[in-house]
Amino acid sequence: MKTIILIFVIISGSLLIYGTMDMPAWGDPQSPANSYVSPRYIEEALEKTNTPNIVTAVLADYRGFDTMGEVTVIFTAAIACILILRRKFSDNWESVRK
Amino acid sequence: MILDFIISKYNFWLYVIIMMIGLYAMLAKRNLVKKLIGMNIFQTAIILFYVSIGVKKGNVNVPIIVGSHGHESQIIHAADYLNPLPHVLMLTAIVVSIATTGVALAVLIQIYRRYHTLDEDEIIQIKQSRQETGV
Repeated sequence: MKTIILIFVIISGSLLIYGTMDMPAWGDPQSPANSYVSPRYIEEALEKTNTPNIVTAVLADYRGFDTMGEVTVIFTAAIACILILRRKFSDNWESVRK
Repeated sequence: MILDFIISKYNFWLYVIIMMIGLYAMLAKRNLVKKLIGMNIFQTAIILFYVSIGVKKGNVNVPIIVGSHGHESQIIHAADYLNPLPHVLMLTAIVVSIATTGVALAVLIQIYRRYHTLDEDEIIQIKQSRQETGV
């Protein structure tokens, strides 16, 4: 079983490495990710949001609703942890086991 | 020529290796905690990959505009700063990965309380024997 998994992992890894042949070079300033959308954010963020840190400006101003959704994700995870770890349920399970 | 090619791509290969270590741990390990750690390694590889896309070589700053307080009307060249968008997106990814890891650890604690083991095969065995005895 482990050899099958190892062969599968090696095959998928070599497919991914084959896929990197089409990627732009590391640190290329003219790569598509660096040349289409991000210059607009870098040039206009200070003027539009008055925040020197561009990452903060995008996170809290341009994508403010997305960040609010993230807070919902964290809240849901916390509620789920509390509900899973409640002592009441585990006591019931212990009594069921015995 | 071949050296230039290796230098321009080797970081992607390293991330693929890290990602495959995580995938192997998720598939081959039988301890559930080790599977969870494998998933975390996988996510870390993806985060590293995205952050490395935003790198620009040369004389560039981190995406914080220098000396902006006081004179608001300075001209900003995009080539002087790193690409901030992968950083922002990976902040979101880190938040999601922390949330999933927390819930998964809570579930693992509850599994351990119920079966007193974290080994996959042992859990399946105990579950079958309990079903047969009807407890």
